[in-house]
Amino acid sequence: MAKKNEITRRQFLNYTLMGTGGFMAAGMLMPMVRFAIDPILKTEAASDMVDIDLRVEDITTEPIMKKFKVNQVDGWHESEVEQAAFVYKNDDGEIVALSPVCKHLGCTVDWGTNPAYPDEFYCPCHAGRYYKDGVQVPGTAPLAPLDVYEMEIRDGKVFLGKTLPHPKA
Amino acid sequence: MKWLSKEIDVFLSAKQYIDTILLTLVPISFHENMKETVSMGEFSSVLTAEIERQLHGRTLVIPPFAYLKSESQDEKLKKLGQWTGELRKNGFRHIFMFTSDSQWKAIEELLDGTLIWIPAIPLEHMDEKFRREILDEQTKQVLQIVTNQWQSGS
Ligand code: FES
Repeated sequence: MAKKNEITRRQFLNYTLMGTGGFMAAGMLMPMVRFAIDPILKTEAASDMVDIDLRVEDITTEPIMKKFKVNQVDGWHESEVEQAAFVYKNDDGEIVALSPVCKHLGCTVDWGTNPAYPDEFYCPCHAGRYYKDGVQVPGTAPLAPLDVYEMEIRDGKVFLGKTLPHPKA
Repeated sequence: MKWLSKEIDVFLSAKQYIDTILLTLVPISFHENMKETVSMGEFSSVLTAEIERQLHGRTLVIPPFAYLKSESQDEKLKKLGQWTGELRKNGFRHIFMFTSDSQWKAIEELLDGTLIWIPAIPLEHMDEKFRREILDEQTKQVLQIVTNQWQSGS
């Protein structure tokens, strides 16, 4: 008399147990996945403007490398990382703050260190070059200009924030 | 670049530009001078990390070559030789080895790579600013050594 779609007691138990089991496993997994993924999604925690200990009147037309510390949250890890900027006044008297991180593969560039090109930024890794305004010299390794820092002047002092793509990028 | 999966992605896609290995040689010992041994490894690791930051695009830091202080010179040399052999086989043209363990200094010319031996400075007792200065100074000198070798070798 057994009909085809009637389920036996054993089957029923199997289903429900598997169901709960599966459900429990999912319940265990979910928080773990969330835990693992969440912080990574939030890497760019609000970075505030940082006082880099440089007064406007001390800035010349010669780029100087200024180092400063920034709190960075990377995944679960909160740490102080050191950052640097090249700061100078351009021909129009505007203050410029460039990131020294080479846009090719990320080495640190320096100002005027290649004797053949004293008025350019030079990357020691693959001879990348940038003009003073941060734009890459065509034909050298980098394909984009150096990033610029978000900047504010408060009480005659320079504050820097995030790096942004160069306006000429 | 660092030995991290996301950086290795970049490494794999730009392999032809990364021809330099930074390797720290870190001693392990639990006996006399344990602390001194630890600070040796610590200092070279800090310095290596700093060099990596500046020369990120052409260098790869691999996990340290760690060895027991009690191992014989021959033993260590043989193992390190296997490492450097493997690196050469994979096309790395420049190998820089960082250590504060003076035992390596004595057998420097037997190594397949450039030994950068820096006496360990006990960083832990220094105030932040002084520590920074020392590290900057050391970094500058080492950067010079690395970039000079690049210029003469490429
Ligand atoms: S990383 Fe700067 S030129 Fe390659």
